[in-house]
Amino acid sequence: MKLSPRRILMGAAAPVLSIVVAMVVTSIILLIARDPVGDVWAQLLKVPNPRLLIAIGNSAVVLYLSAVAVAIGFRMNLFNIGVDGQYRVAAFAAATFGGQAWLPGWLNIIVSLVVAMGAGALWAGIAGWLKVKRGVSEVISTIMLNAIATYLVAFLLQKVAMSAEGSNVSSTKKLPESSRVPGIPVTIGEQQREIYGLLFLAVLVGFLYWFVLNKTRFGFDLRATGGSETAAVASGVEVKKMVLTSMICSGAVAGLVGMPLLFGQDYAYGSTFQPGLGFAGIAVALLGRNHHLGMAFAALVWGFLDQQSNGLQINAGVSDRLVGVIQGVIVLSVVIAYELVRRANIALEQRNVAAALAAEKAKTQRDAAEVSA
Amino acid sequence: MELHGITKRFPGVVANKDIELKVRRGTVHALVGENGAGKSTLMKILYGVQQPDEGTITVNGHAVALKTPTDAIDAGIGMVFQHFMLADNLTVLENVVLGAEKLHGIGDRARAKIRSISKEYGLDVDPDDLVEVLGVGARQRVEILKVLYRGAKILILDEPTAVLVPQEVAELFDNLRELKAEGLTVMFISHKLDEVLSVADDITVIRRGTTVATADPKTTTARQLAELMVGSALPNPSTEESTVTDKAVLTIDAVDLDGGVGQRKVLNNVSLTIHAGEIVGIAGVEGNGQAELVEVIMGMREPTSGRIWLDDKDISDWEVREIREAGVGYIPEDRHRHGLLLEAPLWENVILGHQTQAPNVKGQLIDAKAAKADTEAIVHDFDVRTPSITVTAGSLSGGNQQKLIIGRELRHQPRVLIAAHPTRGVDVGAQASIWAIIKKARREGMAVLLISADLEELVGLSDTLRVILRGGLSAPFDPDVVTREELGAAMTGADGHGHGEQEDTK
Amino acid sequence: MQMSARVLPHAGLSPTPSKKETTLRQVMKMAVAATAASLALAACSSSGTTTPTATSGSTGGGAAAIKVGMAYDVGGRGDQSFNDAAAAGLDKAAKELGISSKEASAANGEAESAREERLQQLIDAGYTNIVAVGFAYADSVKKVAATNKNVKFALVDSTGAQGANIENITFAEHEGSFLVGAAAALKSKTGKIGFVGGVEMDLIKKFEAGFTAGAKAVNPNIKVSVKYLTQPPDMSGFGSVDKGKLAAEGMYQDGADVVYHAAGGSGGGVFTAAKAAGKWAIGVDSDQAASPSLASVKDVIITSMLKKVDVGVYDFIKSVKDGTFKSGEKVFNLKSNGVGYSTTGGQVDDIKAKLDDLKQQIVDGKITVPTKP
Repeated sequence: MKLSPRRILMGAAAPVLSIVVAMVVTSIILLIARDPVGDVWAQLLKVPNPRLLIAIGNSAVVLYLSAVAVAIGFRMNLFNIGVDGQYRVAAFAAATFGGQAWLPGWLNIIVSLVVAMGAGALWAGIAGWLKVKRGVSEVISTIMLNAIATYLVAFLLQKVAMSAEGSNVSSTKKLPESSRVPGIPVTIGEQQREIYGLLFLAVLVGFLYWFVLNKTRFGFDLRATGGSETAAVASGVEVKKMVLTSMICSGAVAGLVGMPLLFGQDYAYGSTFQPGLGFAGIAVALLGRNHHLGMAFAALVWGFLDQQSNGLQINAGVSDRLVGVIQGVIVLSVVIAYELVRRANIALEQRNVAAALAAEKAKTQRDAAEVSA
Repeated sequence: MELHGITKRFPGVVANKDIELKVRRGTVHALVGENGAGKSTLMKILYGVQQPDEGTITVNGHAVALKTPTDAIDAGIGMVFQHFMLADNLTVLENVVLGAEKLHGIGDRARAKIRSISKEYGLDVDPDDLVEVLGVGARQRVEILKVLYRGAKILILDEPTAVLVPQEVAELFDNLRELKAEGLTVMFISHKLDEVLSVADDITVIRRGTTVATADPKTTTARQLAELMVGSALPNPSTEESTVTDKAVLTIDAVDLDGGVGQRKVLNNVSLTIHAGEIVGIAGVEGNGQAELVEVIMGMREPTSGRIWLDDKDISDWEVREIREAGVGYIPEDRHRHGLLLEAPLWENVILGHQTQAPNVKGQLIDAKAAKADTEAIVHDFDVRTPSITVTAGSLSGGNQQKLIIGRELRHQPRVLIAAHPTRGVDVGAQASIWAIIKKARREGMAVLLISADLEELVGLSDTLRVILRGGLSAPFDPDVVTREELGAAMTGADGHGHGEQEDTK
Repeated sequence: MQMSARVLPHAGLSPTPSKKETTLRQVMKMAVAATAASLALAACSSSGTTTPTATSGSTGGGAAAIKVGMAYDVGGRGDQSFNDAAAAGLDKAAKELGISSKEASAANGEAESAREERLQQLIDAGYTNIVAVGFAYADSVKKVAATNKNVKFALVDSTGAQGANIENITFAEHEGSFLVGAAAALKSKTGKIGFVGGVEMDLIKKFEAGFTAGAKAVNPNIKVSVKYLTQPPDMSGFGSVDKGKLAAEGMYQDGADVVYHAAGGSGGGVFTAAKAAGKWAIGVDSDQAASPSLASVKDVIITSMLKKVDVGVYDFIKSVKDGTFKSGEKVFNLKSNGVGYSTTGGQVDDIKAKLDDLKQQIVDGKITVPTKP
């Protein structure tokens, strides 16, 4: 993939187009709701303060992991809608294990991460197994497994919960101090804030995602299956095996989604552990076009919008639901825009190929004419 | 109906250019041309699916603008597509009224109308038959009836004989003559010249997007027509002297494949041996088990019983990848579905199917550099016309896509090549070079299984010919002596050697 | 007679792509639809009456006017429940004390940092008296209070954050529930009563525990059936009228004749079911029989357990204005009349003496009401 100016232009066209569409649609909604359009954009386009920047970055770390988990499925036509359930099961398992402090310090963290990946992989593996063995659509089974995960975790949480008197929050035993991942201190202006130490995990996962998908045989098979399942089968890909493997990989990455929260902020899994990250991950993967860097960018955009909810309510006086509307419109318009640009790109490429061939032909004819002359 | 100066440009290509066509009322007018000559585009223009960039269409002296298929129907133009658009689980009546409920309702009035049309044009269609029980010929008549029901006076038939066996073709032609006698106009699109000569009143030849000649069937020979179509002397698929050895490379031994509960066997006791340097051709009407035979050999389906041997190795239970690694090359029937990743660059498509083999991989890693070099070599050796190996496979023309696939398969020097319809949908130039490539492979001792719908190709290339009918193989034919009629009889089971039962249509 | 080959049923059909084959793009489209749907659902589930959340009630208090920032839980103002009760206290304060206020509510599935940011932005905007409604704010209040020493906080429903500038407003829901449990048992003719909890978490279990204990206290043989509508983190149990209705219907069909709900907005469904079955129900948080929006079912509401969040909020604001703010836990129990039962409709007048006797016993410490079922 060479970076020709056309490729860059085409690459940038879709996001820009969709952001413009999202702005227009949102403005119309605001006008209908008689909300202050100017204030909203002034608030949204304001440069976030350092505190907010870090919060956005932290949100993005988590969202990125979730998006990668979803994207692994997407790349081979599997719609793992169950990342939400997978990361909650995994976070609970890791929190329970880590809280026991059977292992010292860093070892406890690493083994807890492995436990989380295992739990997520197992939970996603059920859906993969059902698809391979029984032909159950992974969309259905992962939705079901999300619901089951909710009940299972709630049930198990009651069994192991340590409920502090008066807090009304039940949660697992807190991780020992030695098994917490310290934040990375970041100083912006005079403010010092911390970004999740497990940022490195997201970077590592992103790198592996890129590397495995683009540089390995396994990744090639996975992408081929996504590009055309029939062609992949004919090329010797055992699709069932791939389905199971990629569901397990997706689940293992999903298992990591809650880890920055667990080790860097909450130190326990409880009833206030952030829910819904799996679904946000789907949106981010769509927005980022399953691209390792695209999703990072998308995660930042998504985190930015999430964090703007407060400012919109407090400073612009509009409902927090507006942010949900903007996010929804962006996802819809980005996908439409990508599709439009994709088609334009195909047409353009066909035209370029035809034109290049025609030029070549003309040249050979001219050369031939010169020779004969 | 008259077309004047029709021109249609697509990005990078001019599909139609200055088309001149005059169709007299009450005649069968044939439009002939090679694949890719622009017939389909012209057809789409007539049916209102695409609009011409230039030119005029007049029907009965009135200029018409065909912006949608509805406009075309209103102008009395009806289209019978090559691939039937019928719902299997509905009756003929339901299929016919679908989308035309306003004309005669959906009940007895419609039924009566269908009966009367059927009687008037001798179509022999019962409105209450389920479509799934109808044969191909009957389905086609339903399609014709559908168009007549909507009031068409000009029928356009797109390659109507492609799916028919010779006997059904004769029936169809009887129907067409009937339609003509009733004052309707038929436009008949084909590249099968014998048929065209036998049924058409007028012939227009289209080549490279433009009408190059009109011909009178009474005074024109097939050879002349063909040269008009191609614009030069014809390529010839005939092979040179036999290179067949007595070394069996691929042996299929009594393979059965069940078709599911209550269904006939899809493959019935198929036995076949291909020797090194031999091309075995399989003829047959589509859907008689050709695709399944290929899938079983390639390991995409498990045979219910029977064994398949590659040299002396039993590969019956092997996975596709193992079979490919063992040296079986595969040119799939549908290159878009089975052969290519259309949105991936050429060099990735060259890896496809050989993702475990050198030079594409190093251990578990893809060796992009080597694969790209290999792709360059394929593009050069097999004359794939492309500006670069990083363009997507989907942006190449059909013939170049096919050459890329063939190149990629032959590059790995397979022992056996399974070639399903290798020249389908490619232009004459590419067809000639694909034939040359296959012949060269045969010379070099490859065992080739050739499945094709093109009898000329089969007869020309094959050392041995077999006919497949309802999953069973006929005895071998010698391509040098067999006639079209003999093959046609074997393809329909009319020779009495077919496996399954025969069935009356009247 | 003509012979024709019998061809395989599908032989004449065009090679249309098989139904099984889904392209990547189709998956993407599904994904978009699902994402949009989930966003829409999120918006629906959290939308009560969508009043713009920012109200600036200012009177001519001049520079000395108290500025109150309200941070609601998910659902915000207009949830017909807990948040509304807090809002009622704010409204009362605005009317009587001449304060100005700013409100913002939580989004479903938001990050911990979003809660912190909400509090911080309210403070940044000059609203230096913060009411954090709901125990989910415990951690964020703890953090923000530590860095904003001169800001006063009221944290409702939790003692999870404590400090010199934090007032913890907690309620003895179990005590109030005990009384309505006794009322239910006294009123029941079938000896079967029911409890519908919104979400199965510690806070709501307090209601259940008190209710069951109160019922058993007057009728040791009474049967109490218990049903929770959802499990955390699925908070929809507080806002799903249909789920409430379904659960209550089951109980009534099973012979229960009084059902107590602690399910926020889902309670409306419980009342509808009661009305349809010709049975009784007990409301929660506010005097629901007196609520205009429930006028059509008020005759089946024999009483409501009062949890006076409005009083708690109002008292906090008043204490700030009067300069009598006191940090630490402020328990609203039977003794302080912070919880209780309502008598609107007069349906418990016949047993009022008995209930008041029980209340006195609890106040006197003769009865200890359990907080866990």
